[in-house]
Amino acid sequence: MFDLLLAGIENVLHLKYLVPLFLGTLVGLIGGALPGVTITMTIIIVLPFTFGLDPLQGLATMTGVYVGGSAGGAITAALIGIPGTPSAITTTFDGFPMTQKGQPGRAIWLGIWSSCFGGLLAGIFLIGATGPLAAIALEFGPWEYFSLFVFALSMVAGLTEGSLLKGLLAGVIGLAITIVGSDPIMSVPRFTLGTEFLRNGFPFLPVLIGIFAFAQLMTDIEKMKGSEHAAAPIKAPPLTVSHLSVLWEIFSRPFLLAWSTLVGILIGVLPAIGGSAATVMAYDQAKKFSKHPERFGKGNPEGIIASEASCNANVGGSLVTIMAFGIPGDAVTAVMLGAMTIHGIQSGPLFVSQHPQIAYGIYAAYLLAHPLMVLICAFGARLFLRVVTVPKSMLIPNVLVLCVIGAFALNNIMEDVVVLLLFGLVGYALVKARFPLAPLILGLILGDQIEVNLLRAIMSDANPWLFITRPISGFLLALSVASVLFALWQHRRQKGRTREVDQEPDF
Amino acid sequence: MKVLTAAVAGLALFTFANVQAAYPDRPIKMIVPWAAGGDTDNIFRPFAPALQKALGGTTVVIANIGGASGTVGAREAKGSPADGYTLYAVHDYIHLTYYTGMSDVSYADFEPVCLIAATPSILTASPKTKWNTMKEMVADAKANPGQISVGATLGSTSHFFPAMVEKAAGIKFKYISYDGLAQRMNAILGGHIDLTDGNLTQKGKVDAAQLKFLAIATEKRSPELPNVPTLKELGYNVIYSVSRGLLAPKGTPADVLSKLEGACGQAAKDPTFAESMRKQGTDVHYLDHKGYAEFLKQNDALNKDLSRDLGLLKR
Repeated sequence: MFDLLLAGIENVLHLKYLVPLFLGTLVGLIGGALPGVTITMTIIIVLPFTFGLDPLQGLATMTGVYVGGSAGGAITAALIGIPGTPSAITTTFDGFPMTQKGQPGRAIWLGIWSSCFGGLLAGIFLIGATGPLAAIALEFGPWEYFSLFVFALSMVAGLTEGSLLKGLLAGVIGLAITIVGSDPIMSVPRFTLGTEFLRNGFPFLPVLIGIFAFAQLMTDIEKMKGSEHAAAPIKAPPLTVSHLSVLWEIFSRPFLLAWSTLVGILIGVLPAIGGSAATVMAYDQAKKFSKHPERFGKGNPEGIIASEASCNANVGGSLVTIMAFGIPGDAVTAVMLGAMTIHGIQSGPLFVSQHPQIAYGIYAAYLLAHPLMVLICAFGARLFLRVVTVPKSMLIPNVLVLCVIGAFALNNIMEDVVVLLLFGLVGYALVKARFPLAPLILGLILGDQIEVNLLRAIMSDANPWLFITRPISGFLLALSVASVLFALWQHRRQKGRTREVDQEPDF
Repeated sequence: MKVLTAAVAGLALFTFANVQAAYPDRPIKMIVPWAAGGDTDNIFRPFAPALQKALGGTTVVIANIGGASGTVGAREAKGSPADGYTLYAVHDYIHLTYYTGMSDVSYADFEPVCLIAATPSILTASPKTKWNTMKEMVADAKANPGQISVGATLGSTSHFFPAMVEKAAGIKFKYISYDGLAQRMNAILGGHIDLTDGNLTQKGKVDAAQLKFLAIATEKRSPELPNVPTLKELGYNVIYSVSRGLLAPKGTPADVLSKLEGACGQAAKDPTFAESMRKQGTDVHYLDHKGYAEFLKQNDALNKDLSRDLGLLKR
């Protein structure tokens, strides 16, 4: 196994792969650092530009974006107190107070080094666990897959902030979009309005770009109104720091680092939970285990370590689930899975054994992205701060243009751009109505798979009770019910505590 | 920000600049209408670099567009511009999905480029089944009609081959839709289906005792598999192989076609390609534009008869 990994690393160290990986990490860091540009959006925008590359080049780029994006959020979070990505929110709790106390360098480097170590530790897990997990995945028949997808959808709908009903509805809307086009088994056209274009259904990426990127950018524009210069005049604070003392701060807390990493990995492996949940949970746990919980929120290094280590560990965990089961963890991993499919990779139980070169190439890219990320930060942290202060009135139009080019570049046809605009409007309306988008995307991704596995199960055996009587399938369905009940209970409890809270749309 | 703008502008130029240069001047997309890791993919993946070399280095990108028994990719290929920048990796299923009414795309919607390979079918069983020979399987099938599950791309070659076995042996299977060999392999290794249409691309798994080959559908035993009996010697007169070639959308200019045909002929002789075909138990079987056109016509009539014989003809 380790000789394969070494070969993978040696392979990725070639300029052919190293350059895409480097660029991906860089773009990811920038995207992650920019408030309002999420990792999901960055990945969506980068993806079409990797089509011309060979599969490993493309996937190295995407892995870089994913890793870089997860770390990049920390920079903005620590320096200006705005999470660059939703998962960095817990980093603001202690990172920003630390900056305010005059230690911005310490704050961001604690974040970056913790990301790096959390990610690397998770990487070791990733390599060790994919094989055994794939063996388990092989035991999954159509019943189990169907139930697993249902579980994933109900989890993500239940865990989103805001209304459970809207979460579930968003999932259903996602599923409904996949009904359009030929059915996946007998190729019967459905809702195609007689057009040839819709015979193959709505093209996946334009829909994704529309719903996610367009809708969020539109809301951002709306929020701007004149207040945009409020955050602009940030003087670049001194970022000097003793790396040794920061590393000591991290390694003198091995338990914290290991525990946060573990939390990140576990949340990552479970389908459909995602990065924000990982960091919030790790932060919460760190606070509970700490001897001085009262110091949290006032610039405690432990808060930053827990948040950032779990954030990048989550990336490793979710890559395992994508590779072994072919199931996305959240919106980001959903797009990563799409990226693999586009690059001709059928992830699933046989992926690692059939394509060891690509699988270990991805492992290697994942591991190498971490030192690259640290390296880029060492040179570029100050510059990132400049990027962050780019007025949104300039940033947003540029990102919008990139979205349209990305959609067009897929097949060089205008229909894709029309789909993008259409779903941009749909997404915008949904955001306005406070629908969470993550369940929608998951529904969109899993729609075909749910249908195919349901049909296969019925074709294999007409007895519908098998969904419940087969142990793994029944267990997963029970979990789905439990997750919805849990969400109901939690929402009720929250309602009791807080009245109307102005909630950000969940990306 | 300037950098970003410059990058966007550069990219735009890169995409739109030299549209009018000599063919081929930009990457060629080869549509494989099944998932990566399937047998068609396994055959065209080593062919792509050989073709690329023969075309003077023009990148050939494989696009796996799977779904609905390969008809999604077929439709995509039919709708692509006829400029030689989209090729369509095809096999006999194109006739079958047309006659079984799965799809309204027919071979006549394309220009033949070349035929490259023929792969004999092998009846393949899951490691979790209790039979080790064809005889035991047939006995079991006779005792439990309609109980043995076969994973197949419905209406395609992997449906037809077991259907021919069914007819020859007088037994009845139950069919479950698994598009493409890659998906069928996941299912058969986990024991979720009992039988499938396999081929020598899966020999590695048989050697590792993860799969069982019951019988091969050739005239004589394959030198790669001396221990696997032919269906014919077992008394079932079924000879079946899948022929794979390249098509281009109808209306592709003649000069582009002849350039592609030439490159294809050169690529079919490529020693690396030949070696990887040998490993996969596939015969390199090259036919040029004209020969392939003739082959397609005959094959189409043959498959129509086959569909009628098996009671699957819908048009």
